[in-house]
Amino acid sequence: MPPFDLKDRAAIAGAGASAYGRRLMRSAIDLAADAIAAALDDAGLARERLDGMIVTFGSPIGADADTLAQVLNLKLRAYNQTWAHGRFTASAIQWAALMVAGGMADYVACLASVSFSGLRRPMMGGAGNSEGAREAGGSHGEDPVFGMTSPGAGAALVARRYFERFGATSAQLAAIPVAFRKHAALNSAAIMREPFSAGDHQASRFVCEPLHLLDYCLINDGAACVIVTSAERARDLRKPPVHIAGMQPLPAGREEFIWAYPGFGVAQQSVFDYDAGAPPVYKMAGVGPRDIDALFTYDAFSILAWMALERFGFCKPGEAAGFTQDGRIELGGALPMNVNGGLLSEAHIMGWNHQVEIVRQLRGECGPRQVAGAEVIQWANAYGDSLIYHR
Amino acid sequence: MAANQDDYAKPRPAISALNRPYWDALRRRELVLQRCGECGMRWYPAAPLCPRCWSRRIEWTPASGRGRVNSWVVFHQSYFRGFDAEIPYNVAEVELEEGPRLLTNLIGVGAGEIRAGMEVEVVFDDAAADLTLAKFRPRRGAA
Ligand SMILES: [Zn+2]
Repeated sequence: MPPFDLKDRAAIAGAGASAYGRRLMRSAIDLAADAIAAALDDAGLARERLDGMIVTFGSPIGADADTLAQVLNLKLRAYNQTWAHGRFTASAIQWAALMVAGGMADYVACLASVSFSGLRRPMMGGAGNSEGAREAGGSHGEDPVFGMTSPGAGAALVARRYFERFGATSAQLAAIPVAFRKHAALNSAAIMREPFSAGDHQASRFVCEPLHLLDYCLINDGAACVIVTSAERARDLRKPPVHIAGMQPLPAGREEFIWAYPGFGVAQQSVFDYDAGAPPVYKMAGVGPRDIDALFTYDAFSILAWMALERFGFCKPGEAAGFTQDGRIELGGALPMNVNGGLLSEAHIMGWNHQVEIVRQLRGECGPRQVAGAEVIQWANAYGDSLIYHR
Repeated sequence: MAANQDDYAKPRPAISALNRPYWDALRRRELVLQRCGECGMRWYPAAPLCPRCWSRRIEWTPASGRGRVNSWVVFHQSYFRGFDAEIPYNVAEVELEEGPRLLTNLIGVGAGEIRAGMEVEVVFDDAAADLTLAKFRPRRGAA
């Protein structure tokens, strides 16, 4: 059962970000301070009232929650932190909603700050990726003994299986990064803004085949933050609240692989015809996929957008390749996706930049890339978690 | 050709008390999987109990060494110095006849010739003096 009691009980009161860049040469703590201050200012909230924090990507690339509390002189009643992965964005917001509903904190800053340029040994694959070498395998299917390393390699394994199982092609997959780059061209905060064609995508080098360079997201520096509070408290702040109507938690188990829905048949998953059924996030929010005005997803690799669409029933397994063609997921199309430019082109802030964009879209603050009349926006991921926001 | 342990430049497996029998068996040129004495399930990676029925009555028993290519990738970028000379190299996910899937390298087949469903068999690769890896090659006589 979805947590119906929490429907519309929590809201985002403020959203903010630092600058994003390939090599800002600033510390993750410094970037986090910008994002937190911007989110507080957006909410019109004094920093003394911030009493909770959840961080989803800490050191050595990011800044840990306890460090931030000390250095920024915050008095937190409650904080927590996930281990360093991008998959916990919705989880953090859901836990913040629970904290607020349970009276453990009144205003919870949810964020990640990353400074990849300050890192001596790359963590995204290779010898610096210590988690990839953990007992029983890495999070993304890593097995460095055979040279299997980096999150993108696990996504490439999924992409190959998708192509083989459903007869889809890399040329069709180009529609994802091409669309998100078009969106980034309308976003002055985005790091990569030069549009490219499907042909450019095909001509870009392979990193881990069948994925091309342009199927890979950015590695960059920046921080983004949202402030979760109760719907009642949010009403008294500077900007209109963005309510959280639906929540679907992050699943784990033998049938789950981070980049593929159950039944897909990678890692130790079974093979069966996946049926999205009625995902709990829609039941809780009282809406369905057709009511979604814009969809945001964790697009670390382009194939993940197809997996998310199929996981949440926007189309059936194998249909996302066709579904995403001809501008349907572009601004002005039937289902605009990642209108900020996504991890692929705006910035890779572990999905927090997407949450900031969702808030701004629902307030109508997005200028040339505003989704006209946006009222209901969903965050939904290949790995199965989701949030539905509305004004 | 077994190399000196110190010359082995690729990442080594994370060998634990749990999965040591798997790696010790490879040294004997045997591919083994755990098997449940209650329900008969076979699985990978190593677990302290049967993932299906949670029985602790489990044992390591030989696997057929035969399987099919489930999915595969080709690395065009090097992340480890030990793999530099092999770029582009393949990593395949092989589904064994017993059901579990292993990540491995396919040998004796060009990257462009790998196909989903291709029948493969295990090859014991003595990578270092103290390390044997289960790699796979197209199965002789298979369609
Ligand atoms: Zn059993």
